[in-house]
Amino acid sequence: MSALLEVRDLSIAIAGAARPLVDHVSFDVAAGETLCIVGESGCGKSLTALALMGLLSNPPLRRTGGTARFRDRDLFELPPRELRDLRGGEMAMIFQEPMTSLNPALTVGDQIVEAVRTHRACSAAEARDRALEMLRRVRIPAPEKRLGEHPHALSGGMRQRAMIAMALANDPALLIADEPTTALDVTVQAQVLDLMVTLQRESGAGMMLITHDLGVVAGLADRVAVMYAGRIVETGPVAAIFDDPQHPYTLGLIRSIPALSGERRRLATVPGTVPTAAAMPPGCRFAPRCPFAGPDCRAAPPLAEITPGHRVACHRAPIEEKAA
Amino acid sequence: MSDVVLEAVGLEKRFTRRRLFAADTVVRAVNGVDLAVRRGETYAIVGESGCGKSTMARLLLTLMRPSGGTVLYEGRDTAGMSDRELRALRRDLQVIFQDPFSSLNPQMSVGALIEEPLRVHGIGTAAERRATAAAMLARVGLRPEHADRYPHEFSGGQRQRIGIARALVTGPKVVIGDEPVSALDVSIQAQVINILAALKAEMGLTLVLIAHDLAVIRHMADRVAVMYLGEIVEEAPADDLFARPAHPYTAALMAAIPIPETGARAPAATLEGEPPNPVAPPPGCRFHPRCPHARDNCRTDHPALRELGDRRVACHYAEELTLPGIAAGTQRRAPAVERRFALLDARTQDNDRGERP
Repeated sequence: MSALLEVRDLSIAIAGAARPLVDHVSFDVAAGETLCIVGESGCGKSLTALALMGLLSNPPLRRTGGTARFRDRDLFELPPRELRDLRGGEMAMIFQEPMTSLNPALTVGDQIVEAVRTHRACSAAEARDRALEMLRRVRIPAPEKRLGEHPHALSGGMRQRAMIAMALANDPALLIADEPTTALDVTVQAQVLDLMVTLQRESGAGMMLITHDLGVVAGLADRVAVMYAGRIVETGPVAAIFDDPQHPYTLGLIRSIPALSGERRRLATVPGTVPTAAAMPPGCRFAPRCPFAGPDCRAAPPLAEITPGHRVACHRAPIEEKAA
Repeated sequence: MSDVVLEAVGLEKRFTRRRLFAADTVVRAVNGVDLAVRRGETYAIVGESGCGKSTMARLLLTLMRPSGGTVLYEGRDTAGMSDRELRALRRDLQVIFQDPFSSLNPQMSVGALIEEPLRVHGIGTAAERRATAAAMLARVGLRPEHADRYPHEFSGGQRQRIGIARALVTGPKVVIGDEPVSALDVSIQAQVINILAALKAEMGLTLVLIAHDLAVIRHMADRVAVMYLGEIVEEAPADDLFARPAHPYTAALMAAIPIPETGARAPAATLEGEPPNPVAPPPGCRFHPRCPHARDNCRTDHPALRELGDRRVACHYAEELTLPGIAAGTQRRAPAVERRFALLDARTQDNDRGERP
């Protein structure tokens, strides 16, 4: 299966910081596949998505290197006009907080109609039919009525459905979802995730899902990339990440999650805090918090393959041979 | 002395929205809640947006006057307390908020912030207050030199440690945490949970935890109350609630938890729709329009919260329903993962404060 999206060595810098915020990040997304990018605040996962969509606030943020091939075009080399055509068309994005990404002055229907007519030649009536069809597909109750309502009249879950409807209105080949359910209650989150899985299965789109929730990762991902302080530290099939985690940060993340059954033990923690943009450490960026760090960690470890498709950026990988 | 330290009896809070050209609307945010928090336990209140759990927190803290019912502290009705008694109560009953940054004065140094509650309550001399605050700073895992810095210089996890230090410096008996770890990343969240657990044990605290993250609740709580549209629908010891929910809404919450393990089911959307508008709650059982088990009488008869073994449940059919919870062995780790955790243990000398020595 050839990749739909191929990102290579993406780097993003911020004015005033010595080291890049996103540093040589590479990954693929194939058609029909879900890649989850997981990490904590400030790891660069959202910046990566924004860069792909051409939405970095520029300056202070600046893409300093890398390529992103999407269906044989480099997103970073496209003229702004062509990128605009792609965005919301073949490539769509869902954000965490629909209220800030929907236009409060336009009705839900008008916004979907606008999205449709920006990308295809059709009459207003045809676009409206399409909008109605999309609201039905995302299972919004009373869709005819909702078309004429403004975003503030909808609940959080309904707004997120409306945004999904808009994102999918032009049958995108690639969907980028940045924490799409983080602001939702758990039962509503389950509904929205369920919907996303169903719609993706129907359309065969590739999905890049950004999340901090390992439960969401386990439920949806085919492959996972774990990011820490601007770098991918481990990537592989979802089973490798949960059953054969190699990077000390991945282990720490999995271990910090409270258990849902069985004995309650004191939570293990990852000591210290994530480095700030201004103070990214040299070499391995996790080394200051890593119990296995040694002098060699002052050199950045390459993201090296340890089993097919499973790559780890750690001088101690495989961990049971080298860190025991 | 009674086993119960904090109690709500028939507690109600109505919010009225007055409108010029239409009838007033009344939201019953808390609708007849009875609960009793036992000394030394962690009692969690869980529910989704709009269920009334944050209003409950404010009522229990006596920061808000109830529309009906009472809050009893150590068996005494807080409504009848004099200003002097209320002041003493606030020393005993403290709060930790979700977002410590918005509750910390940005112009005060961290040392001054932690001393402030002592000053307000007139505890000790200036020198004693400084010493107490410094000791508290250490107990939440911050360094002495942090006392001279300002809130903006700290990360989210460190700010929450400051919030905890401020809440605990007066030596309270009961602490109410309103989503105390919700804004934190998972690795930082674990640090703060451990600090809270350690301090609770050291200081003999009773903890009331308002939260929405079910895994955090399972980890921290002894007993859990589940709220839906202003009412408690189930209350049970934490392990029982997770393993064998008795109320269909609790079961729906359990089914929706995303489970971090390989081959996990995708979170199941067993509920259609969203909680109804609290202005016009449905008649009968407030949950019936979304309940897969609802029958005719659920649409008309409001189920009372009644005792069933060592739990309380508000469902007409609690005895006959067998509802799935979180199965034993959920989130079991692969042997390789357990071996690597042991490797980490051997190397990590972290302590309850979550800081490296």
